[in-house]
Amino acid sequence: MKEGARMIARRNRMIPALFILPSLLFLGIFIYIPLVQNFYNSFFDFSVFSPTKEYVGFSAFEQLFADKVVMTAFINNVKYAIISVIFQVAFALVLATILEDKLFRRIAPMLRVIYFIPVMISISVIALLFNFVYNPQMGLLNSFLELIGLGNLTVPWLGNATTSIYAVIAMSQWQSIGFITMLFIVAIQKIPKELYEAANIDGAGKIRQFFSITVPQVKEALFVNMLITITGSMLVFNEPYILTNGGPGTSSMTLSVYMYQQGFFKDNMGYASAVATLIFVVTAIFALIQIKVSGTGKDE
Amino acid sequence: MKKTLCFSILLLLLSTFLAACNSGGGEQSANADGKVEIDFFHRWPNEPRKSFYDDKVKEYMEQNPDVHINVDYVLNDAYKEKVRVLVSSDELPDIFTAWSDSFAKNLVSSERIMPLNEVIQEDEEWSSKIIDSQFGGFTFDETTYGVPFTVDGKAFFYNKAVFEENNIEVPTTYDELLAALDKLQKAGYEQPLVEGLTNTWAISHYLGTIFERVVDPAVLDKDYNEETAEFTDPGYIQGLEMFEELTGYMGDVSTAIDHEAARNMFAAGEVPVLYMQFAEIKMVEEAGDVEFGFFDFPAIEGAAGDPTALTGAPEGWMVSKNAPEETIDFLKFLTSEETAAEFTKTDGQLNAIEGAVTEENVNPASLEAYELITNASSTAPWFDNAVNINVADIFMRGGQSLATGQTTPEEILKEVQQEIANKK
Amino acid sequence: MTKTNENIKADLFTSDTQIKKARLAKMDKTTRRTNLQGKISKNMILLGLLLFAFIILYPLFWMVVSSMKSYDEIYNNVWGLPSVWHFENYATAWSMGISGYFFNSLFVTLVTIVLVVLIGSMAAFTLSRYKSRWIDVALIFTIGGIMMNPQVALIPLFEMLTWMDLINTHWALILTYVAYRLPLTIILIRAFFLSIPRELEESAIIDGCSEFGIYARIYLPLSIPIIVTTIVLTAYFAWNEFMFATVFIDSDVLKTIPSGLMNFRDALRTDWGVLLAGMVIATIPMVILLVFLQRYLVRGLSEGSVKG
Repeated sequence: MKEGARMIARRNRMIPALFILPSLLFLGIFIYIPLVQNFYNSFFDFSVFSPTKEYVGFSAFEQLFADKVVMTAFINNVKYAIISVIFQVAFALVLATILEDKLFRRIAPMLRVIYFIPVMISISVIALLFNFVYNPQMGLLNSFLELIGLGNLTVPWLGNATTSIYAVIAMSQWQSIGFITMLFIVAIQKIPKELYEAANIDGAGKIRQFFSITVPQVKEALFVNMLITITGSMLVFNEPYILTNGGPGTSSMTLSVYMYQQGFFKDNMGYASAVATLIFVVTAIFALIQIKVSGTGKDE
Repeated sequence: MKKTLCFSILLLLLSTFLAACNSGGGEQSANADGKVEIDFFHRWPNEPRKSFYDDKVKEYMEQNPDVHINVDYVLNDAYKEKVRVLVSSDELPDIFTAWSDSFAKNLVSSERIMPLNEVIQEDEEWSSKIIDSQFGGFTFDETTYGVPFTVDGKAFFYNKAVFEENNIEVPTTYDELLAALDKLQKAGYEQPLVEGLTNTWAISHYLGTIFERVVDPAVLDKDYNEETAEFTDPGYIQGLEMFEELTGYMGDVSTAIDHEAARNMFAAGEVPVLYMQFAEIKMVEEAGDVEFGFFDFPAIEGAAGDPTALTGAPEGWMVSKNAPEETIDFLKFLTSEETAAEFTKTDGQLNAIEGAVTEENVNPASLEAYELITNASSTAPWFDNAVNINVADIFMRGGQSLATGQTTPEEILKEVQQEIANKK
Repeated sequence: MTKTNENIKADLFTSDTQIKKARLAKMDKTTRRTNLQGKISKNMILLGLLLFAFIILYPLFWMVVSSMKSYDEIYNNVWGLPSVWHFENYATAWSMGISGYFFNSLFVTLVTIVLVVLIGSMAAFTLSRYKSRWIDVALIFTIGGIMMNPQVALIPLFEMLTWMDLINTHWALILTYVAYRLPLTIILIRAFFLSIPRELEESAIIDGCSEFGIYARIYLPLSIPIIVTTIVLTAYFAWNEFMFATVFIDSDVLKTIPSGLMNFRDALRTDWGVLLAGMVIATIPMVILLVFLQRYLVRGLSEGSVKG
């Protein structure tokens, strides 16, 4: 009898472990080991399929800091971040506030879905679509500019070394504003309605309400969204890869695209790993700030 | 070996899931009924070639019921990568498509490619139909490792009507070409010459030909070999300068379009000159109705290079050393006169099989191109296939930057030399 | 991939609010001002909102319309409607390979969803019901996973999958998708599990339910809403993922829609009408999912946010 009871107790202890084991294995093998492996790889020179790796110490990192393209790419990532913060975060907050205002109660649900549609569409579809939009001959953008009499403003958007990165960034804004807007809507919905009612009675205008109630109340969401956007900008790969492949020259290169090209196009796997390590360090800094501020990581 | 342990545990766990839903996994089916299996790998997931080869494979399997052919295909760049991978891991498909010259040479150096001399000598009836000169790019140290199939070349296509209207003669030297472009510009063609510079290979075709013209062939040979590459000849600077000069005629639009868009502009008569492959003749004709002719990239006076070499190497089939012997029969089937004639009729690209390019399956323009290719004194390989990919990439991206005015020829060459130094 | 935690720290405001509430009761509501100026600015804003909606919708509308144009018309008649509606572009796209990509995507997405929900909910069960030092470690391990990004792991994963001989199989995608979806899924489901009253399971234990029974008979059925959220988020991710799909798969037969579409473009000649039709086909399932399961999606966003 005693034996049997202990069996049950032990089984009960085994089950939770068994339940969580697959997850831990998945995370360990496909997320954590690669991370460590990547650091390790950064110190070697190797090609994808060569069985041997040649130890080269810090030379990949030395090369990294001397590489002009890395600098260009990093600057492009920073541009990406700044513009995205302005449009995706600032503009989305305004948009969310407007959509949550009772003045637009009837039309808001429909607009919400419309703004969110691009988020659901595959990036390759969107990038191919924007290839048409930016096309210098038949593109929607240039055709439109000509239509409204601004023909002299037409530029080969993706082919011009100055405009290409901005054209790529603009596409990202188009796609992602709806997403951040939705996050803000969710945050705004949690603000107690009484605050606005009271402000109304005090005669505060919409703009004052926005700054004195909405902004402070969604402060945390604002911060988190900003970090999401910045981290996303540091990682951006799909958009420039499909639209311009970093070109013309290296004018719209980003760190992730450069890593991909070094690794899978030119087969300099060790150097690509060093670029990946740089990406990791940059994003990890933002992630740490985020954990600190939002308090995630403890019990909810 | 904790890692290995982890993997095995995971795989064990997963195997239960996998077993439950493995039906659609897309693995190659094992052959149970004792047929000979041939793995056939090509690089045309696009129409019309994909269907063409699918049909041919079906036809062959019907004729040879004891053979089963597995077809796989990936696109151009991925193909290059994939073949390189497969050859290094000894998993080469039995028969696959390959470019000539340096691409072929790299494969051959793996010693995993079947020498075909005997096969060629044994079956004269089949092999004598293949144009002799095209074997060159697949022959190393007198051993032939591939059978050429498609032939191609690059030339300037020009709009005949526009040239006549403006009294422009077909240029025979580089200076005459520039004069012609100037004249066209005066005649109102803002960009008399376009190119889809977003396709970096299009840039490499230009650069390859230009280098062929300005650099001593012996120097090129040395620089195209990864072991001895230096890229210090002043001819490269001159070549890049010439390319820069030519982009001056291409206008802003060229940096933002691909080669296809450029071809459509040519076919619509908007642009009078375009550097194109003969394989594109059919596409030009389908896209518009301009009357066009073509001329080889003109000679450059006083330059050390070969003034007449035609850029454009053949592409053909290679067979793995481990391939079953039935593969040879399939190879002969793929390169038979009948298959070749049908291929050219469907696709428009010319082939290296005698009697398979006739007035019946191609138009006069293609026939003219065909003469040009088969009579060329020597052929030069595509630049992006000829040199190390890192070097090619610097030249190609550099070409883009030249066109947008972001760099200089000297800087590009410096970068190339640095890259080579890094690799050593 | 980050987590938003939107606890509202309302303490500061409560006292303030109470005072204002009291005042509110006294005030006459009719004093609210509605003047002409307000109306104009309302209409201006409305116009702006509609304009923005138009900017979002027009390219999509153009994509649908142009997918039925001929090659020439796409180049030469940018704005107009097609003179002949080429519905056959869809049939062509479908038979030229989209069907294959479509079913590959479907297979990968479905298997990913099943694995994510199963493995994720099991882990969440443990994490929400037990407390020990090890559980805390496991929780931090899981949350840490959210911070990691696929870009950094790309090359090691490629090596690893090659070593496991899984490159160029659907499993290369499924396993990595599952891994990168798990952290968020576990945290979402765990939060939900925590809200399930303990009494329910206590009565189940008395009834002789095993641990597994509690998970399968009580926790799972009660959590349908959050599981639907997980399904939507995972479906969206797996259906649209591009980078892994490009790097880990190169055989055309195995490609999923996002990477497969690229093949249509790369030829010497692209059949734009057909490509556009393929793009529409790739888009439709997700838009349908959005329209029908919108509220679950919003729910997911409110509990934890997703990007990438």
